[in-house]
Amino acid sequence: MKVLLVSLYHPELVRGGAQTVAYELFRGLRELPEIEPVLLASADQTTPALFKSGARITGFDGRENEFLFLAQEYDHGWEKSGSALLAEAFEDFLRLIAPDVVHFHHFMTFGIDFLTLARRVLPAARIVFTAHEFLTICAADGHMLRRHEKALCGKASPVRCHQCLPERPPEQFFLREMWMKRHLQAVDAVTVPSRFMIRLLADWGLAGPKLTHVTNALAMPPAKPAPARARRNRFGFFGQLVDVKGLQILLRAVSLLRAEGFLDFRLEINGGNLNFASEECRGEIEAFLAEEQKRPAAKRLVQFNGGYHQDQLPALMARIDWCVVPSLWWEAFCLVLSEAWHCGRPAIATDAGGLAERVTDGKDGLLFPRGDERALAETMKRACTEAGLWDSLAAGIKEPARREEMAQGYLRVYRGGKADAKRRKESATFCEQKVAKKL
Amino acid sequence: MEPAARDTVRFDEETYLRLNPDVRLAVAAGIFRSGLEHFQRYGGPEGRLLARPERLAPDRVVFTAPPGVRRGTLKPPACAIDMVKFSPAGGVFLHGWVDDELDRLESVDLYLPNWLAAFDGASLARLRRPDVEEAMGCRHAYGFFGFLFAARGLTGGACSVVLRMKSGAEAHVLLAAEPVGDEALRELALGCIAGAQFPGNPYFDSVAAIAPMIGGQLVKFNNLLSRRAVSAPYVERFGARGRYRASLIVCLYGRPEYVFLQAAMFSAQAGIGDYEFIYVVNSFWIAEMVLKEARRAARIYGLDITVMVPAGNAGFGAANNAGAEHAASDRLLIVNPDVFPRTDGWVAAHDAVVAQRPEGEARMFGAPLYYDDGSLMHAGMYFELDRMPELAGGAVGGAGLLRVEHYGKGAPPETAALLRRRRVPAVTGAFMSTSRPWFESLGGFAQDYIFGHYEDADLCLRSLAAGCPVWLHDLRLWHLEGKGGVRAPQHEGAAVVNRWLFTESWKETVQNGLLGPVPGREEFRP
Repeated sequence: MKVLLVSLYHPELVRGGAQTVAYELFRGLRELPEIEPVLLASADQTTPALFKSGARITGFDGRENEFLFLAQEYDHGWEKSGSALLAEAFEDFLRLIAPDVVHFHHFMTFGIDFLTLARRVLPAARIVFTAHEFLTICAADGHMLRRHEKALCGKASPVRCHQCLPERPPEQFFLREMWMKRHLQAVDAVTVPSRFMIRLLADWGLAGPKLTHVTNALAMPPAKPAPARARRNRFGFFGQLVDVKGLQILLRAVSLLRAEGFLDFRLEINGGNLNFASEECRGEIEAFLAEEQKRPAAKRLVQFNGGYHQDQLPALMARIDWCVVPSLWWEAFCLVLSEAWHCGRPAIATDAGGLAERVTDGKDGLLFPRGDERALAETMKRACTEAGLWDSLAAGIKEPARREEMAQGYLRVYRGGKADAKRRKESATFCEQKVAKKL
Repeated sequence: MEPAARDTVRFDEETYLRLNPDVRLAVAAGIFRSGLEHFQRYGGPEGRLLARPERLAPDRVVFTAPPGVRRGTLKPPACAIDMVKFSPAGGVFLHGWVDDELDRLESVDLYLPNWLAAFDGASLARLRRPDVEEAMGCRHAYGFFGFLFAARGLTGGACSVVLRMKSGAEAHVLLAAEPVGDEALRELALGCIAGAQFPGNPYFDSVAAIAPMIGGQLVKFNNLLSRRAVSAPYVERFGARGRYRASLIVCLYGRPEYVFLQAAMFSAQAGIGDYEFIYVVNSFWIAEMVLKEARRAARIYGLDITVMVPAGNAGFGAANNAGAEHAASDRLLIVNPDVFPRTDGWVAAHDAVVAQRPEGEARMFGAPLYYDDGSLMHAGMYFELDRMPELAGGAVGGAGLLRVEHYGKGAPPETAALLRRRRVPAVTGAFMSTSRPWFESLGGFAQDYIFGHYEDADLCLRSLAAGCPVWLHDLRLWHLEGKGGVRAPQHEGAAVVNRWLFTESWKETVQNGLLGPVPGREEFRP
């Protein structure tokens, strides 16, 4: 079985969860004897040196079955490219590779309409789409987070979306939904990394039988076991320093603890991309860190380590007891949680979405109300002071899914069933049949 | 003794100037050397006073000039000409203001090296000018503009403008007549209508202002531009070329994204492979994007698409007519860019109406259209007549203006009475399905309406006049009314001209049994 994995960026060019998982899957599938995976990962003007004159798809750094899609003219409003040449190049590539499965790990930089293009070019192929967030539903970065009231959004509608993005009229969201659903018609299966996403996507109108849960997984370097310690008062934050990751909530919790005189803890921040945060959020984080720097070393509670590579994770995790995940959005899966668990560190996490689904409060971690810095401060204080809590929670952690498990999960989706094949045949439109005949 | 000689003998300079103050002013201004000169040249024949009458009736006004004679030095009116512009095709636009509160403007004459034009004062549109009103301290429609169409090329140069008043007084302004492009001049004139501050209710006053002359001249001018724009359009074909069951003709203005949106939505319909798409691009600045999207759509959806780019904004009527000429089918679907199928099986349902309904029901028909909020926005159209109260007579009267209304606008989506198959006075051009031979026998859409509006009702009324009323069939579509294009001031100005033209063309017909949601004519009764 030949599987084409279409990935938003190559994780070695631009870091991010979706591309990391896509690449892990590529590596996982490569280990299976009956599967021939091909990776088509996008690059854009963040890596201009990789663009070759007149080329639209190229190889990648001499690696077998890894290709770069050189994205251009991408319209984030409609999630499509304006380039006819790229559509033609993708079509030619599909014909050349002739995969049995086309698995889109994202559509951004390619275009949601490439799902339909793939279906038209390969009427018999199985097309799979993995939703790493809710970008099909939500034009506000796919976070389903109500921007003006900072609440989680459970339902998109033209008026509600217009309230989040007032520069766009309600009709545009009506069209966007039709546009997205039109292209998702071309897909045989939609997979999600957390089960709660199924409900939101089904409520939005995506056919239930198409929706399947397949966990994300990472192959991680061996972790160091956490040494016994008298006090479990070291916290760590890992991830991108953008609004929805909620670092600002964590810093406010630190300020609250400091204000009440509770100083017997430390926090290490690991991550980058602060430049992608909103001005307000960036200002708050930078002001806190600057203030912290002014304090005498002995009185500092927070240390900023900057970005990190995955190979550094065991060492960074070894310096903390708790992994704090204060995300403000639904958090579709949270790879950081897998990394923390792999290293035996319990999490203190927001009680929503993928985090609430994966963390069992009091069993393998602690949950606190989303966006509530006071509750987080109290939880951190409890984590530092309650005897035996850390040991109990650490003992409750289960090893996260391995890459092989993820690959096997997707393999089941790729194989589908006879009912899927029949449905595919029946759902082909007159136009598509006509075109298929011409071809 | 001859009177002149007698008067001369009795002439006293100081008395004459005292009794004829306008002459004193003229002498002071150097127009006459003396009162005597004035008397000899004009005053004598006019019978001017030379001395105080011996007996004057007390407490009464005594007229010294014969009835109808207005003596005195004619005072030029305060005025300004803001611009005189002309275009290569022969459009002439005049804009200015004049203080004619007491002495009405008779005409404005333009004298140029190679041509002249006389604007009748009564044919000029009058508007308020807050800046002039502030300076004059009085509320009055000082402003004016006019438009003429010479139907042949004009040249510019120094332009002498003479404003003549009813009294005979004249003002003279010298300025340069500026050449502008034809479309720019149309935009300028229509934008002026849109932005004008009319003395009363703008809905009525705007039409009244252009009715005497400007409206007709603009229609002729625009007609020329429309014909010229579609005379040799750029045409490119994407996909295959063959014979089709139907041709969707879409007139685009300013919003290229509707090409890929419509392609995506319509291509999901079974049977759409037997339909072709023809996009006529009325805004050249999106042409490149439209061509690119059509190329992509042919690839992604396998659709056959023709893109036509006229050499300017041809307007809705001319653009659709041009699209129809390129159609490779005998069924034309006039579709707005923001119209999409609302149900699966829409194409099959449309085919069934065409193939299975009696010919008269399928020659020309429309469909229920829905807003994005789910409510109905169109289930046929009917006509109303708006009348401005005629204040002088104390009654409702005046010329009246036709208004086109939609049945069921905002109604619940499943209102059976609105959705049933039936004849209607008209259907919207947002979606209209018509037999091509019938469409052509009617001469297609009228091209007199500027940019777009009323062509649909006009066509339906012509179909009715030719013996075939239009029908409404339950083939539901979405229509994001007003979101398919971009509106600019000239479009508002065009709407005024079109309202006037539609009323001029159809008022009598509509008043004869087609007025209101339940028209008197038998075929439209429930």
